[in-house]
Amino acid sequence: MKNAENVYWQIDNRIKQICLMDEAEILPINKAWQKYNWVKKYFKQKPKQGYFIWIKKQSKKTFSTCVSIANKNTKQKLENLLVLEKGVKAKIEGNCNSLKKDLSGIHQATGKIVLKENATLKYNHTHSWKEKDIVETNYDFFLEKNSKLNYTYKSFSSPQKLRIKTTLNIFENATAKVVLMADCEHGETNIKETLSLKEKGSSGIIKLRLVGRNNSKISACSKVLAQAEGKGHLDCQGILLDNNSSISLTPELLCENKKAQITHEASIGKISQEELTYLRMRGLTEKQAINLIISGFLQ
Amino acid sequence: MNLLEIKNLKARANEKAVLMGVNLEIKQGEVCALLGPNACGKSSLAQIISGNPKYKIIEGKILFKGKSIANFAPEKRVKLGIALTWQNPPSVKGVKFSQLFKTTLKTKKRFPWTQEFLEREINVDFSGGEKKMSELFQVLFLNPKIVIFDEIDSGLDIKKLEIAAKIIKKEFVAKNIAVLLITHSGEILKFLKPDFTSVMVCGKIICKEKGHKKTLATIKKHDYEKCRKCLLADRQ
Repeated sequence: MKNAENVYWQIDNRIKQICLMDEAEILPINKAWQKYNWVKKYFKQKPKQGYFIWIKKQSKKTFSTCVSIANKNTKQKLENLLVLEKGVKAKIEGNCNSLKKDLSGIHQATGKIVLKENATLKYNHTHSWKEKDIVETNYDFFLEKNSKLNYTYKSFSSPQKLRIKTTLNIFENATAKVVLMADCEHGETNIKETLSLKEKGSSGIIKLRLVGRNNSKISACSKVLAQAEGKGHLDCQGILLDNNSSISLTPELLCENKKAQITHEASIGKISQEELTYLRMRGLTEKQAINLIISGFLQ
Repeated sequence: MNLLEIKNLKARANEKAVLMGVNLEIKQGEVCALLGPNACGKSSLAQIISGNPKYKIIEGKILFKGKSIANFAPEKRVKLGIALTWQNPPSVKGVKFSQLFKTTLKTKKRFPWTQEFLEREINVDFSGGEKKMSELFQVLFLNPKIVIFDEIDSGLDIKKLEIAAKIIKKEFVAKNIAVLLITHSGEILKFLKPDFTSVMVCGKIICKEKGHKKTLATIKKHDYEKCRKCLLADRQ
């Protein structure tokens, strides 16, 4: 992706680019906090860093954001706010990464993502970090009446520590589909996701696809909390590639409404030797075959 | 010189013996058929020749152009020119044929598949017939010197079987590529006339005939009962 296309582009703690657009207002979060009183309700105190994206009108354009670490020992602490106005459909591509090896960066990001009535958001969030980085994200989604969210998070080169916390608050007839994929090597990954069905007709599904290899430790806890008549499902799957890694999957269902339907499935397995041999008999090396099977699993 | 030579091959899968001393020779451009009842070791032989690590060779040799390949990885055998169509190919969820070919194929041959096919996940929700045809087309692109067809005729209707046989004739036999046809029913032999036909029973090849008619007629008449008796007589 060309950086010129980014509506918000930050390197280390410096904003490199913010686009002016007709369909949306994009600001540094501290300026938005000063400009709009309603922004203040999303933060306990004035945020220092992060983006504010307020999509007011329909746009065919994809809104891309990029937050990178380029210098050693950089610590980022972003507080983002993304708001989709009523009836708006939008697509976001969010990229967070480390540009070099051994930068030992810290990336902390909290975010509030608000989909107003009848809004639709397709959000692809991609993380690409290096071995010595530490990453913590905490995103809260608010899906108002009849809104739709399709959120995909991918982490294909894992940091030393990765903590992901995602909370989905789903209101009347709103739906969420969340897919979280992580190919974890060397580090510790801790995932906590909560799907909260707050009003009648709310529904959601969380899919986890996790790969553990080369001394990685993964712990994932996914929860559906049904407070109203809604439907929720957890689908958690892991593949473990060696004995030096571990995966712990904990699906949790908590039902507070007798008409709610909440279900889960969870499994951890290894790569099928039959599939591996089959691909090798098509000319792939063992490594190529494993990578192809993993890429299929993470699709 | 033999292209492929199997000498007194004994092998096991887990703790179970599957081959009890197999001998087989195939020359370049030869078409050989291997018949046998279910679970006699035909597919195991095919997998062992192709290097499936599930099987362990206890004794014997696999020579390709005179060199031992018993310790070669499956992909190295493919590179040498050994290709196998699987009897029951596994599904690989999430991986499209286009992704597989992008990694493996270096040939400029035109794909016989539609874009729609290339975007399908490997063998996922394929019918039996689709799997067989897909296997057949895939080996075309591996530039083989020998192709082992493991039960290519099972599950194909007569029309599809004729098509498969025509493709094998045109793309392999006519191009002097050796073919080993593994078949239980022998149906495909009506369309492809093998130079030699062998019968395997209980992990051992017990007879070899030039052509195929006598063997096929015996099997049609007696199923494999007579072959089993032959093996018993041989053992006594």
